[in-house]
Amino acid sequence: MSTDRVESPSRLALRRLRKNTGAVIAMVVLTVMVIAAIAAPWITPFDPTTQILEYSVKPAGFRGTILFKKNPADPETPSIIAVSDWQLRSDTVYYRDPAGEPYSIARSALVGVTGDDFVATPTFWLGTDRFGRDMFTRLIYGMRVSLSVGLISESIALLIGIILGAIAGYYRGWADDVIMWLVNVVWSFPTILLVVAFSVLLGKGYWQTFVAIGISSWVDIARIVRGQFFSIREQEYIEATRALGYGPTRTIFRHMLLNATGPIIVLSTAGFATAIIAEASLSFIGLGVQPPTASWGQMIKDGYGYIALGTNWGMTLFPSIAMAIGVLVLNVFGDGLRDAFDPKTSQR
Amino acid sequence: MMVSYILRKILYTLLVLLGVVVVTFFIRPPGDPARVLLGQRADSASVAALREQLGLDKPLPYQITTYMTSLAGGDLGRSIATNRPVAETIIERLPATALLAVTSIAIATLLGILLGVIAAWRPNTRIDTLTMSTSLLGISLPAFVVGLLLVLVFGVGLEWFPISGYVDRGAEHLVLPMITLAIRPLSIIARVTRSSMLDVLGQDYVRTAKAKGLSDATVFVKHALRNALNPVVTTVSAWFAGLLAGTYFVEFIFNWPGIGLAAFNAIEKLDYPMIQGTVLFTAIIFVTVNTLADILYGFIDPKVRLS
Repeated sequence: MSTDRVESPSRLALRRLRKNTGAVIAMVVLTVMVIAAIAAPWITPFDPTTQILEYSVKPAGFRGTILFKKNPADPETPSIIAVSDWQLRSDTVYYRDPAGEPYSIARSALVGVTGDDFVATPTFWLGTDRFGRDMFTRLIYGMRVSLSVGLISESIALLIGIILGAIAGYYRGWADDVIMWLVNVVWSFPTILLVVAFSVLLGKGYWQTFVAIGISSWVDIARIVRGQFFSIREQEYIEATRALGYGPTRTIFRHMLLNATGPIIVLSTAGFATAIIAEASLSFIGLGVQPPTASWGQMIKDGYGYIALGTNWGMTLFPSIAMAIGVLVLNVFGDGLRDAFDPKTSQR
Repeated sequence: MMVSYILRKILYTLLVLLGVVVVTFFIRPPGDPARVLLGQRADSASVAALREQLGLDKPLPYQITTYMTSLAGGDLGRSIATNRPVAETIIERLPATALLAVTSIAIATLLGILLGVIAAWRPNTRIDTLTMSTSLLGISLPAFVVGLLLVLVFGVGLEWFPISGYVDRGAEHLVLPMITLAIRPLSIIARVTRSSMLDVLGQDYVRTAKAKGLSDATVFVKHALRNALNPVVTTVSAWFAGLLAGTYFVEFIFNWPGIGLAAFNAIEKLDYPMIQGTVLFTAIIFVTVNTLADILYGFIDPKVRLS
């Protein structure tokens, strides 16, 4: 037996992908984003819903002193008091709030024993929003929402698209006619309007958003799977499966689908990016993920009112940049994948 | 031949539109729309009254057929918020949306083809890379983000253009919304044009034309560009849907009194007859444009007619 390794098409594609600098950079950025989204609770200085109203609408790089007060309802997340300065005398902390009003509080009501425990002067790297919530924290948590929308919605879209596309492409005839009719009906609506329509129908919320985007975005996948199946169906090895007496399920999933993987992966990457945009658009309209959950679209909308005033443009700019980077990186990666799976295009 | 092709196209379009209408019918708040609209505190008598007024007390098949028959008569129902006929609002606001959509797609097509050709002229040079990476950024930004950024830079920062309002207060009001709406299709058209041009430039007849001694420019424009435009036409007509949806956001951001702004306000209030009407209208426009494009193709390319 020969020991020469036969390179599979996907292995070849992976090797071509590794040579594509842009795609590699995109993959690294994407990985960092995914890790940051998963590690959000540990890398963000605040809870995404913690409000420090005294420090609302502060610019990027703002530093503010805060006291941590014990929170009997939830010992894990202490209450926060904004102060301009403070002093510990015997067992009482005397402080002034940012407006200059003097107050005092018993040390036992604060977290820990010394000033090191209950006082902090954190930097709000990207400033705060109108409820005094840390923008950086919310941006990272918003990324969580965006990435999970991309992942889950695209999975739903893949499931529907592959099943319908496979049925249409394998059986043809009236099954194909019916499915193509459905494809054309769905295709008649601009995707984002269909997402809006389903969101109205399903109601606002986290899961509703995933489903609304998923059931609106399967059309391209169904079309490509159908098209691939049309050409694969005529090849000898599929005829061989029929001669061997394999059932359609086995032929479709073990033999035909595997050979359509490339285009499906490429489309899914693009779909992932579209899903992120769709979620942001929904939140921007006020459907979709609901406050106080952080979402990029919502943050952009929140900051929008300040733009016309010409102040605090960071509130809109930062989430916009975050979204642009996310979608751009996915598109670059998708382009790289397409070139890797279809070397003809990359030679240009 | 041509007549039967057109007839088949039109019949199929009607069949698709039937599905579109059924989908549109189901755009309504979950559960009991009357309850959702009036809120939890409303008494059951007024909820029942609204339910009756909206025809929601009737069985579903009856509702659907009523919806379809009134649609056939051009009746899109009445807005819950304003109690005005939805069709009236749409017709009243159509010119504003049409102005925005048509100027945007025109700019996007012209500039997109131009940029695509420039990029394909000398592929893999700096100008090609620059054009293609800029267009990738253009694809990656949704209209509302582009709009906000343009407002920030050219409206609030440089104060070159007004950031809100309609052309009745001066043509300069069109500039920012038009650019906002055009950026995505422009980027896509530029990319499609480039790749289509490169496809065509690799063909034998282009080589023959060059071998004949024709100048680069002649080959490029007369031989290559003309044949490269087919996929571009498909892209333009397919992107029309995205553009129409984009008007919703752009009109909201720039306070442009079109159909999209009406829809946007309706979504906030869950005024579902208005949402149904605007979504249906957008879908019908899109389907019609695409059918026309298909028929046009049949005229241009005999192969299409036979398939």
